[in-house]
Amino acid sequence: MVRNRFQKEMEELRKDVRKMAEHAKNGVETSVLSLKNQDVEMAESIFAREDESDILNLGIDDRGMKLTALQQPVARDLRFISTMMKVSDNYERVCDLTVKIAEITLKTAKKPLLKPLVDIPRMAQTIIEMIDINTMAIEKWKVDEIGVLNEKDDLIDALYDQVYRELLTFMIKDPRTIDDATHLLFVARYLERIGDIVAKTGARIHYMITGERIWIK
Amino acid sequence: MQEAKETSVKISVEGLNAWFNTNQVLKDISMDIAEKRITAIIGPSGCGKSTFVRCLNRMHEVVPKARVTGRVLLDGEDIYSADVDPVDIRRRVGMVFQKPNPFPTMSVYDNVAAGLRLMGVRDRARLDRVVKKSLEMSALWDEVKGELNKSGASLSGGQQQRLCIARALAVEPEVILMDEPCSALDPIATAKIEDLIAELKKDYTVIIVTHNMQQAARVSDYTAFFFLGELIEYEATRELFESPADKRTEDYITGRFG
Repeated sequence: MVRNRFQKEMEELRKDVRKMAEHAKNGVETSVLSLKNQDVEMAESIFAREDESDILNLGIDDRGMKLTALQQPVARDLRFISTMMKVSDNYERVCDLTVKIAEITLKTAKKPLLKPLVDIPRMAQTIIEMIDINTMAIEKWKVDEIGVLNEKDDLIDALYDQVYRELLTFMIKDPRTIDDATHLLFVARYLERIGDIVAKTGARIHYMITGERIWIK
Repeated sequence: MQEAKETSVKISVEGLNAWFNTNQVLKDISMDIAEKRITAIIGPSGCGKSTFVRCLNRMHEVVPKARVTGRVLLDGEDIYSADVDPVDIRRRVGMVFQKPNPFPTMSVYDNVAAGLRLMGVRDRARLDRVVKKSLEMSALWDEVKGELNKSGASLSGGQQQRLCIARALAVEPEVILMDEPCSALDPIATAKIEDLIAELKKDYTVIIVTHNMQQAARVSDYTAFFFLGELIEYEATRELFESPADKRTEDYITGRFG
């Protein structure tokens, strides 16, 4: 085994991306929980997390650029480094969206929720499972589970439709609910976007491992 | 092995084996080389890549006790068949070596004209024309046009190498073999030669042996990876450097061995 230092630096990169995945996961979990429990303090913790993930993402980008410039990676190394940069960027966008959800918690915490949240936490839970699939694929350098992402993303889309229809009935019945219902609709929409981003991240990881591009919606 | 895509085949190698004495350095190599494309040969030291290109213009057999079996078809004709003149093959398949080797006692002009004169060309106007054209094609003309009579050895290393390329071009070959043409040059001179190689493919089939994988990635259309005398993988260059099929290729190009 030669190029030990290079190997070590790539390992550091992998660890940082793993942290980034944890940020994204916790962001999704915490923001939705803060909404469900109407917990302002918990929502505010998201903002600090977002700052951290920003800095971490910059660091990953910087390390990836440095390795590309100095080590001229090819083949799996090149696919690995470029994918780590992309995965990190994607998870950073996920963190951005969780901030939006936390902001909605702040706006809606003062009065009781329009309805108990069921489907929105399920969306969040599914996203967390998807992020875990991505993380395991990177750790094991195996694509076995990546195919499941499509199904999970379909589930998230179906939940989004369900939430949308349900909230619509609230608004039609009583226009005074429009404000709260719209907020919840936005949350569902953000989660649906996050599901897409995480699924596409999985497609990129598939490319990293196999060299073949696959299409996830 | 794989066939060259999108373009016709200039050289077809079939079951090529080569020996130095009893030591077999090439084992059953079969590959098609695309016309007017750049094919790079990479691999660790001793993998047979230089021997391979020397088999393509019958240079291997000039080494005592060296031996070749198999077929090398140039435009469909076996260059090893009995009625073929190796000198004619070496005119059609030119070669540029690792170290610039201009004829040291000759002027720039005479270096480029040497091949034609050997072929018996005496017509001064024709020689002038070919020397100018060859030096232009090797991107050296602008730098030496005022001093064609000065010694070839007085040029810089990069200029000498371009002079050797001009000398190879002057006899109007169809294929140019380059064995580590930039290994003795600095990065600027290397960049000039690489640009030149890219230009040459408009008119010539180029085969370049290189230790420098980035160079192979930069200049070539196809890359062949040789290891222990065998052709391991031969693909479009981007494919080979992005998603190689063979683990040995991957390990070599990512620097895990070699």
